[in-house]
Amino acid sequence: MSGAVVGPVAPVEPVLELDDIQGAAVPGFLKPHQTLIGINCRATADDVKKFKGFIRAISDGIAKGTETLADRREHRKLQLAERADAKEPVAFVAIAFTYAGLRKLTPSADAIPGEAFRLGLAKRSSLLGDPSEPDAEGHPAKWTVGGSSGDLDALIIVAGDNRAVVHVRSEEILEQIKASGLVKSYFEAGAVRHDKGMKGHEHFGFDDGVSQPGIRGRASEKETDFITDRHVASTATPSAWLYGYPGQDLVWPGEFVLGYPATSPDPLVPGPPASAIPEWTRNGSFLVFRRLRQDVGLFWRTMKKEAGRLSEKEGFKDLTDERLASLLVGRWPSGAPVNRTPDKDIPELGKSLTANNHFRFDSDTLELPLVQGERDEFPMAKADPAGLKCPWAAHIKKVNTRDSGSDMGARDSTYKRRVLRVGIPFGEPLADKYAEPKDDPEAGNRGLLFLCIQSSIENQFEFLCGRWVNDPARPKMPGGHDFVIGQNSAPGEQHLRKCTLFGSDFAAAEVSTDKQWVIPTGGGYFFLPPIRALRSILSV
Amino acid sequence: MLRSRPQGLWTYKRTRNKREPSRWGTSLPTLKRFDPPAFLPDFARVPGLLDQWSEAVSLWFDDSVKAEEDTFKRKKVEARVQYYNPVRESPSGPAVEQAITWNAFPKELLRQFGRDRALIEGDNLWPLSRYGKSLADRVFDRTYYRPLNEYCEWHVFREPQTGRIKRVTFTSEPPEYYSALFGDYVQGYQFHGDRREFLELYRELVNADVQLKDLVASEDLISATGEPLVTKGSYNPYNKWNTTHGIAHLAAPPNSLTAEIRLGADATVARKDARGKVLVEPEALVCCAGYGGPDRNSDPTIGSTVNALARLGAMVTLKNPVGLYMDHVDLVGWSAPDGDDVAEFVKIVRGQPGMIERLEVEVPAERGFTLSEVQIGGIPIAYGGQIAECITVKLTGVAVLAGIKPVPIGCDGQCCIDYAYPTKFGRPIDINDPPLPGTAVALVDEGEGSPADAKKAGIATAETDTAYLTTKRLINRRRI
Repeated sequence: MSGAVVGPVAPVEPVLELDDIQGAAVPGFLKPHQTLIGINCRATADDVKKFKGFIRAISDGIAKGTETLADRREHRKLQLAERADAKEPVAFVAIAFTYAGLRKLTPSADAIPGEAFRLGLAKRSSLLGDPSEPDAEGHPAKWTVGGSSGDLDALIIVAGDNRAVVHVRSEEILEQIKASGLVKSYFEAGAVRHDKGMKGHEHFGFDDGVSQPGIRGRASEKETDFITDRHVASTATPSAWLYGYPGQDLVWPGEFVLGYPATSPDPLVPGPPASAIPEWTRNGSFLVFRRLRQDVGLFWRTMKKEAGRLSEKEGFKDLTDERLASLLVGRWPSGAPVNRTPDKDIPELGKSLTANNHFRFDSDTLELPLVQGERDEFPMAKADPAGLKCPWAAHIKKVNTRDSGSDMGARDSTYKRRVLRVGIPFGEPLADKYAEPKDDPEAGNRGLLFLCIQSSIENQFEFLCGRWVNDPARPKMPGGHDFVIGQNSAPGEQHLRKCTLFGSDFAAAEVSTDKQWVIPTGGGYFFLPPIRALRSILSV
Repeated sequence: MLRSRPQGLWTYKRTRNKREPSRWGTSLPTLKRFDPPAFLPDFARVPGLLDQWSEAVSLWFDDSVKAEEDTFKRKKVEARVQYYNPVRESPSGPAVEQAITWNAFPKELLRQFGRDRALIEGDNLWPLSRYGKSLADRVFDRTYYRPLNEYCEWHVFREPQTGRIKRVTFTSEPPEYYSALFGDYVQGYQFHGDRREFLELYRELVNADVQLKDLVASEDLISATGEPLVTKGSYNPYNKWNTTHGIAHLAAPPNSLTAEIRLGADATVARKDARGKVLVEPEALVCCAGYGGPDRNSDPTIGSTVNALARLGAMVTLKNPVGLYMDHVDLVGWSAPDGDDVAEFVKIVRGQPGMIERLEVEVPAERGFTLSEVQIGGIPIAYGGQIAECITVKLTGVAVLAGIKPVPIGCDGQCCIDYAYPTKFGRPIDINDPPLPGTAVALVDEGEGSPADAKKAGIATAETDTAYLTTKRLINRRRI
């Protein structure tokens, strides 16, 4: 035998170098206000020199994982004490580069593995199901950022507790950009919704990011200094080792940060590390930015019309647009999972962190003992392997098959596809969710600045979009397309999306549309380098 | 001379969403007979062969049901087998049709080699000795198979001068179909076959130069455990026209229809671990029951889907026509150098949309380029496996919710993992055997059933769970 070190019964989780990892990746900024700034640098030697000078100057202000985690912990502590307002507002900064940008800084960018990163988002857009018709809004030729006309070189994220601190920090950075002779080619602000009760909800009205996985790993050598807090009592084995909050999968950090153990066939055994090539990329991550416009009026008018049509069918009596939309999302607007409450929303369940992620698809969900007297008293989910209660086309099932086998095999197949979502909505909420375009004061300009962290763009973001979300037969049948974010650009299918739903007494019905309410309008594939590299190879 | 193709060629365009109607919630009548996979027409040209096929499939179902009865007897458990032969019985209750899909590119290759090398290996032939040892000296070294174990195999035809890919042919046709047409003895059933039809089919699909003698085994292929893969004088699925020179049907040892039927049966049995927890995880079930391969896309998902339905009290069978099918090819992101249609590159040669048995991917000559110039997501096609990544394979199960109370039985097998390089499980080993050198027992299933239920039954508590797991892992740590 090769002298392997086998951990104790519970897996030994690696210590992450959070002083080197950008806080935008681990633990993620997750701040209510963000501004994205895109930069381009001309390819002359003089401009590249200025670009490096700018990176050197900004590198001291890039948020480390340690700072971000400390801030998160402080926020939670104050929140528990119901003193969240007492926290000093902070703004964090991150910087990421496209291949084009990185190539200007170092020829070793060529050695970074990943076809997707090298080609860039616009050239991979067809694989994501984006329309191939050049006059379509979603075609890269029409994008507002990073489309056919060229990638950004770098993307700066400024994230903070309020708009004021983000504004101040953004202005400072804009000054630095100007002083360095770089081109500011994109600037956009995003914020969580401010309308009543909708904080944390995306523009269609659903609580967002509820299924975020946990990062398996520690912030220090201390045995229990976990980056993701643990809430399942240690007596509940192996559940206590599998989850942060119940149902929140703990995923080996190599799925998000290069150089760390990644998923193995056994979820409790660390797999081989995610390759960090060249060596300076260790502690770096890939960042996907996708600017997604959401046509809220179209979505809800379609839901209303389809619910009305279906409610005349046997088995679908009294189907409302809200229930139909919830079936297609897999969660009610509050975030309450349909598998736990198939017939009506339970807002308290949606809010409960110990309950809103605790459900399985193929088997009855276990009651789990929780730490510190926490309780989950909501109805447990019952086995629904065929998707009779919650369809397999539901968004949350299309991107995470949980306990169920998928077209890619068993549980590790889902772990290997998980991403950390760190984006934010943009635009003002639509007051009347059914509004026609003529009644929309913002002319439809609202949506999501989708940002996600992973160690492989091909195996994670692209796989999820191209192979699961947009494919009617994957990951499970009877399914259909993801009706919320999916696209269908299969030849000859005229963008038609379909899915199968079930009503009472096994009544089945199909929902279909050729309309698109989530439209890509820009973005890019980026590498979020370790802080050490910002101060060395990328700035000298 | 070639016959005209037995079925009209389906062009691929606008076929992906055409699906057979599903039956949900209604009771099913007893099946009159089993049809050949995808209703393929060859047997109809041989008097009596359609009936023989139905009898054979029925026998294979009966054998599978019997095997599960024997398992219950061996375990001294009174339980009803939840797998049934649909030509013999029609359990009452609402029926649920469940298509089970998986990706055609072998996960086992990905786990073992990573994608870059897996793509290369996927286009290669391996000597059978890499799969298992032979009884006769070196016979497995000179016999080849494809390391493609997701019930879909392919052959890449390249231009000899340039190496560019001219065509890739995919098949999900089971070997039993060809053995039946040849007139072989297959898993307890003697087919009379028709060798003229058999040869004609081979010539039509693979090459006009195929001779019958090329297809007949000239020696026995017996595994080291005494299991005959092929006997002298019978049809040889590892013949050159199905390996080095082309492809007619599935030939990798795990890729058979009888294996699929048996896997379905094995998967209906509820399983529990030593704590008494009912297993629910796809790979844990494969390892415990010893059906199929835990490192595949297909077997864990087929098994766990069937098992989940059985745990709900269903009687389970496979939908007629019982077969392994390619469901569709996802052409999203494909682009041709002339910017024109890519759908016409894909032709369904045997079967029909949703039940595809043979598929050819080739650029029509008039387009003036080859598959090597076609791109997927901006990357030129260099391997057949890139296309396989876009292919979804399928079988369809039928579950009749009959209110059966499953009786979980203990494990027969277990999986091991190498902690130093944990990329795959390998084949499950007997539950009573020690882990293989350098490995430890893998997988801990959360199981099903509330702690209260478990405590009431006196089979497990959180404390005993921990003690059990500690013991299990410690034992294996000592072994390493």
